[in-house]
Amino acid sequence: MNDQFLIDKARENLKEKIVEITNPARRRIFLEVGLDDLLASVSWLKNDLGFTHLSTISGVDLGETFEVIYHFANNYCCLNIRVKIPRDNPLLPSICELIPGAILYEREIKEMFGLTVQNIPDGRPLLLPDDWPAGNYPLRKDWKYERPPEVIPGGEK
Amino acid sequence: MATVNTLIYLIIYPGLLFIFLYSTFVEWYDRKLYARLQNRMGPTHTGPSGLLQPIADFFKLMAKEDITPERADKTMFAALPPFGLAIVSTAMLLLPVWNYSLEQSSLTSFNGDIIVLLYLLSLPTFIFFLAGWSSTNLFSTIGGARVLTMLFGYEVPLFLAVLSPAVLADSWRLAEIAAFYRQQPALALVNLLGFIIALICVQAKLERTPFDIPHAETEIVGGTFTEYSGKKLAVFRLMLDVEMVVAAGLIATVFLGGFPGGPILGLINFIIKTLLVVFFLSLIRATTSRIRVDQVVSFAWKYLAPLAVLQLLIVIIVKGLIS
Amino acid sequence: MNFQIPIGPQHPALKEPIGLRITVEGEIIRDADIRLGYNHRGIEKLAEQKTWIQNVYLTERICGICSHSHTTCYVQGVEKLMELETPKRGLYIRMLISELERIHSHLLWLGVAGHEAGFDSFFMYVWRDREIVMDILETISGNRVHYAINTIGGVRRDLDELQVKRILDSLEVLRRRSQYYLNLGTTEPSFVARLARVGYLSREDALSLCAVGPTLRASGVPMDVRKDDPYAAYDEVPFEVCTAGTCDVLGRTVVRIKELFQSYNIIEYLMKNLPTGPIAVRAPRRAKPNEVVSRYEAPRGENLHYIKSNGSDKPERLKVRAPTLGNYAATIKMLKNGFIADVPLIFAAIDPCICCAERAVALIDARTGQEKIMSLKSLKELSLKVSPTTTRKREIEWPL
Repeated sequence: MNDQFLIDKARENLKEKIVEITNPARRRIFLEVGLDDLLASVSWLKNDLGFTHLSTISGVDLGETFEVIYHFANNYCCLNIRVKIPRDNPLLPSICELIPGAILYEREIKEMFGLTVQNIPDGRPLLLPDDWPAGNYPLRKDWKYERPPEVIPGGEK
Repeated sequence: MATVNTLIYLIIYPGLLFIFLYSTFVEWYDRKLYARLQNRMGPTHTGPSGLLQPIADFFKLMAKEDITPERADKTMFAALPPFGLAIVSTAMLLLPVWNYSLEQSSLTSFNGDIIVLLYLLSLPTFIFFLAGWSSTNLFSTIGGARVLTMLFGYEVPLFLAVLSPAVLADSWRLAEIAAFYRQQPALALVNLLGFIIALICVQAKLERTPFDIPHAETEIVGGTFTEYSGKKLAVFRLMLDVEMVVAAGLIATVFLGGFPGGPILGLINFIIKTLLVVFFLSLIRATTSRIRVDQVVSFAWKYLAPLAVLQLLIVIIVKGLIS
Repeated sequence: MNFQIPIGPQHPALKEPIGLRITVEGEIIRDADIRLGYNHRGIEKLAEQKTWIQNVYLTERICGICSHSHTTCYVQGVEKLMELETPKRGLYIRMLISELERIHSHLLWLGVAGHEAGFDSFFMYVWRDREIVMDILETISGNRVHYAINTIGGVRRDLDELQVKRILDSLEVLRRRSQYYLNLGTTEPSFVARLARVGYLSREDALSLCAVGPTLRASGVPMDVRKDDPYAAYDEVPFEVCTAGTCDVLGRTVVRIKELFQSYNIIEYLMKNLPTGPIAVRAPRRAKPNEVVSRYEAPRGENLHYIKSNGSDKPERLKVRAPTLGNYAATIKMLKNGFIADVPLIFAAIDPCICCAERAVALIDARTGQEKIMSLKSLKELSLKVSPTTTRKREIEWPL
């Protein structure tokens, strides 16, 4: 199972679902698919090629769009599925049905970028405090940190 | 003369003063030994070789802030530590150290005192349970429940193991049991199995590794002692030290022939024999890891209790042979 | 009756703050929930405002134990972005430090496992021997924790003959001691009773929950980035991937001790075949717009950095996935239906590094006031529910 074999397989199985496929370095494949084809691609990757290990999900704020990258790995290769999500309608399907271990990464990306993850089994906040103001998504590029006034619990008002 | 003797007995040896000094010394000995077994130095700072460290710890804790949780049963919470210390100190008086005569029973040495002593040694367990329960802390409550669960495991084997020498000696009086084995030292070997069982059970009673389950800090924080601080914690710690001395003394009396020789020689005997028992207890502590509470109960009933019954059988057979 | 126990954010079993809510029935755990966020420093956001070279020192501070893992992972990625060819000797020294770090991390873990199981003698012995490794690291880099040895394009400090000899000498001691710990850890009855069949994680669960590192390998899956995706010069070094089939805490212990021996062999090979030449090359200030996925086998498992550059002297995005985060989902699975007594062991068995797992977000002040009030409130509600009239709780189920 080498890189070329995987690329051929992907071309053969996913056909027109592929937006772009690149192989910038040995053991690194970047596969871009449309948002609607994400679940189909992940399911193909898992069931046909045996990529069960999801390393993580990365998000990048590109201005008009968000780029979400699913890093899969097995014993031979690291395959990254990339999807682009429009900023004005940030909806992302959950892949937890296929990869149960994705839950923490989906929760993380949901909080950090303000994406709505559809059908997420557990959407509670994971990292940010409970009193975090709504509509603040720290890893968006336009988000600036403002230090809140310090309140000492039980201290002087 | 009898009054003076009694007063000395109550206040100096083996009364309060001796109990306090000797139990802190035993704590130092245990700590130092444990540390050396682990390749550490142990206490070094206070006094020669850190000898005064337990006393320093005691006074330090006495000076610390004493917090009572709002939801705790305040009377019970405050009353338990001194009550526990009183119980184990009373138990100490029952050890036949001196000021007793074999012919005549007295207030501190009488027929059946072994039962009273065992009873007094059972009470601290209930003290710990009540301490955990009255703190109302979740961790304390779990600790309290674990104390009682463990009690069901080790108490019966301990009783069987300690009472079988008494059966062989045909007496329920500690002084007479000790005297019996001094006269016939060979017969003490019959109780070897019981000695080992008693050591393990005493380790469990004192809640030391591998039986430090009720206050396993990595699991349930401080367990029964989570909410205790300051003076109350100091008294509890002292109580545990005294309990260790009494338990070691009991084992030494029953299995190792007691402490003959009057006040002075008896004192040396007492120190040597109890330190020997504490040495074994420290060795167990250093070489094992903590087990789970269900493992304690199954271990006690699968191995300790049957072996204790076996010990009793051996004793009965030997008794039949020698009479 | 069920009741909830809060383990953390402050608890003796946890070395760093994390919130575990455990629902128990008697002594048996029925449910577990994890809450992160007590230790956030906003490193990912901060990295976007620092230059490439500044970020080497920033990534080093993600974690105290695997500080070298994060810098190596980052530096490797940046070297690819900048198309630099790192000198052989530099790579070898980098690998040497990473193996030494693995040894000290695994020894640290062994000690902690002993402590969590109440086996303090084991803890003391192991940590005494860990000092040997710490001393070697100090002689090489000058530091015990943050070695600061990596730089973009190579390493910052060279080795001399005396250091090589000293490393080889101490390996002998470490080998002998590790053999002793392997025997002790797998034969001491009370210790084995606590480890065996605790925290069971089947092969299928380990794969589907995306566990990493020794946790995954102890479930019988031979996955190791050093073998699967060799970075630095790992394709030149002979070593084996250690696995165990028992799927429990004992298996994780055995895997870690076996990995110690592999690390000793790797270090011996590296020291005997140390190439000559320079240790670093000069790096440019900017990187062309590109992206790279850098993977690294940290002591705790796969570490992944995703780096995206935009042509400036600062990264566009630096995503860090530390191994511990990958193991949390599996931990919750392992905790269910275990005993309270096993919580510290199971949780420790993934070798949690909470600092690592929590790096993202902006500069949140990690005050935990809100969370603490929450849990206190729920505790109060619970106690009121149980005993509406008295102030004490009475109806807790007997653990027998």
